[in-house]
Amino acid sequence: MATHLKNMQLMKLTLPVAIAVLCAVGCGKSSTPSDDDATPTSDETVAVSNMAGSIKINGSSTVLPISNAVAEQFSKQYPEVSVSVDGAGTGNGFNDFEVKKTDISDASRPIKPGEKEKCEANGVEFVEVPVAYDGLTIVINPQNDWVDTLTVEQLQKIFVGEDAAKTWKDVDPSWPDENIDIYAPGTGSGTYDYFHEVVVGKSDAELRKDMSLNEDDNILVKGVADNKNAIGFFGVAYYEESKDRLKAAKIVNPKDGEAYLPTGENIASGKYAPFSRPLFIYVSTASLKRAEVQTFVDYYLSNVSELCERVGYVRLPDSIVEKGKSNVENRVAGTHYISPEGETRSGALEDIFVESNLVK
Amino acid sequence: MPTALTNQDAQYLTNNAIRRKRMSRWFYGLCVAIAFVSVLILVVLLAAIWTQGQSRLTTDLLTRAHSELEIERSGMWPSIIGSLIVCFVCALAALPLGIATAVFLEEFKPTSKPLRFVHGFIQLNIANLAGVPSIVYGLLGLTVFVYMFNIFGQIKVNESPGWEIMGAEHYYQVMTLQPGHVVFVPQEDSSVPEIEITEPTIGVDNEGKQLELAVWEPGTPRPKDEATKRRTIEKGAIGGTITRRSWYYFRLPLDKSFLSGGLTLALVILPIIIIASQEALRAVSPSLREASMGIGATTWQTVRHVCLPAAVPGIMTGAILAMGRAIGEAAPILVVLGANVMKSGAPEHLMDNAVTMPVLIFNWAGRQQIEFQELAAAAIIVLLVVLLILNSTAIIIRQKVQKAHT
Repeated sequence: MATHLKNMQLMKLTLPVAIAVLCAVGCGKSSTPSDDDATPTSDETVAVSNMAGSIKINGSSTVLPISNAVAEQFSKQYPEVSVSVDGAGTGNGFNDFEVKKTDISDASRPIKPGEKEKCEANGVEFVEVPVAYDGLTIVINPQNDWVDTLTVEQLQKIFVGEDAAKTWKDVDPSWPDENIDIYAPGTGSGTYDYFHEVVVGKSDAELRKDMSLNEDDNILVKGVADNKNAIGFFGVAYYEESKDRLKAAKIVNPKDGEAYLPTGENIASGKYAPFSRPLFIYVSTASLKRAEVQTFVDYYLSNVSELCERVGYVRLPDSIVEKGKSNVENRVAGTHYISPEGETRSGALEDIFVESNLVK
Repeated sequence: MPTALTNQDAQYLTNNAIRRKRMSRWFYGLCVAIAFVSVLILVVLLAAIWTQGQSRLTTDLLTRAHSELEIERSGMWPSIIGSLIVCFVCALAALPLGIATAVFLEEFKPTSKPLRFVHGFIQLNIANLAGVPSIVYGLLGLTVFVYMFNIFGQIKVNESPGWEIMGAEHYYQVMTLQPGHVVFVPQEDSSVPEIEITEPTIGVDNEGKQLELAVWEPGTPRPKDEATKRRTIEKGAIGGTITRRSWYYFRLPLDKSFLSGGLTLALVILPIIIIASQEALRAVSPSLREASMGIGATTWQTVRHVCLPAAVPGIMTGAILAMGRAIGEAAPILVVLGANVMKSGAPEHLMDNAVTMPVLIFNWAGRQQIEFQELAAAAIIVLLVVLLILNSTAIIIRQKVQKAHT
């Protein structure tokens, strides 16, 4: 019995000790990050605000790095406002937004008619704000010396339908008789949807099935970089990171017939068409009444052009950012991308993001 | 009897013995080789991770948070503390439940037929549960803990915060004339989400000190000095609700909080703990049990003073393995807590979100920047070290208990 008693005492001791150790580790270390923050590492000397509150954001994983970057800068000036940014995808983001679970929804495509209807049914009003451009890059292997420019028609030959071109020769008779190997993002990604929309257009055709699909863009980069006959597409940020291993194809703009590379300038000026897409945030007007949301969105729009470039995206023309800002200030609710008849509009951002297109 | 059996060939016998011994040696060699394969895989894995990540093993990694803008200075401090807290919640929920279930299944075997059926049914289902993939538990945790079947209402922005049970104080936050500065007006009726300030009122600052708030009417002269601006509000300004939460802030449903994460992980490891504890209890010599019963102890007394103490080392081994699994799980945490990695510190209240190490590694490993890839490798090293520390602590405790018992 004596051993049992001893045993029990030990057991009684160990649990509290274990908890105490855990707590001590927690408390001891938790002071370090705040020490670190107290000594300013950046050159900003903006007064710290006493604003409090919390902001919930969900949506596109493409926009996530931009929102994260803005939230990170914002928290330096407004340390007591907690901003939580999730990146569950544009569609899932809207699912949350429709039922008032989030204040802001990140989107790599405009809102769809069905999503807008659900917002209306639940009494959610929103302001649509474009924040940056993402250019979709068509990449080929650097050893590929026959492709320089591509037209949308050629891309249709390569990517659309079960009878799509099997060899490069099928696309253009002057090109070699080699198999085409395609690397593309997974069907669940906004990038795939966007490419499909641009290349297939309004018809029912599907992209070919025999592509190597992968949600991980790094694997696409590697696939194209290691294969002379490969072609692939993904966001311009990934191309910028691996410029030395890949070659971007010039895309012929259907409007002026000239071929353009996906450079920042060409994307921003709209010359790199039709493969540059705007990214959006959708802000709930009910949330905009709250000081912290209002301040955050202001901050977002004032800083997004600089910050989006630091995480690999292309800034919008200033006029569009200013228009977005004034829409937020005046609480101009509604979308520009759905006509009153419920049809989706498509085209260049400058043409669509105008007052006459606004539908509440 | 055939002559071949009675009169065996000596040559054949020797050959046979040599052959059998050679076979045995080969098999021994094969076993050693196979055993080394797993070691080899581990060594290759560790070496690969080490070469990729060692350059990023800095104090920044241990003390700072994820940073999108200063990638080189990104760290994993919030995820280390987040993982520890989630695992603590997980252990707190899973260990008592698991051990109690094992005690019931092993020590309180019912005699009546219907109860025996229940007993067998539970036993069978625990074996089934152990084979369920963790992502399925994640989805279960989402309905059970995060939303709680919507019984307590849904948590919506600008609307109901669910059933707030303790630790919440509501204020209206109003901007003052000083840009970036706000004051707070205590909220009396929580069903009114916003107020409009039209006349001077009493507010509080961040420390809870009372302030007399003035109202500035547009068109009249604007106050010039900063102190006055800090407590002057434009007439008609709208105040939205904010909540100040104490550390013990508790609310139902649990929403995307570290409690939900820990409880979901507890579901994942519960079958493992039950099965390991059952094995440990089964290994307790029946003579000990019989001796205890023989001197008149009840079943409870026997369990409490004989079986459990003797089984503690085995139970703890099971718990260590289970916690190792819990700390490394990414899938259920991604489902329950989401992919948010921006959190800059430890959870501040019971309902706060947390980042865990596997989720952060998952996020970093998926980035295209080479720095994040290296950081992911370094974070894996940190995860392994944390796991080793936890395990060796548990093993030391187990050793002590074992020594005390024998």
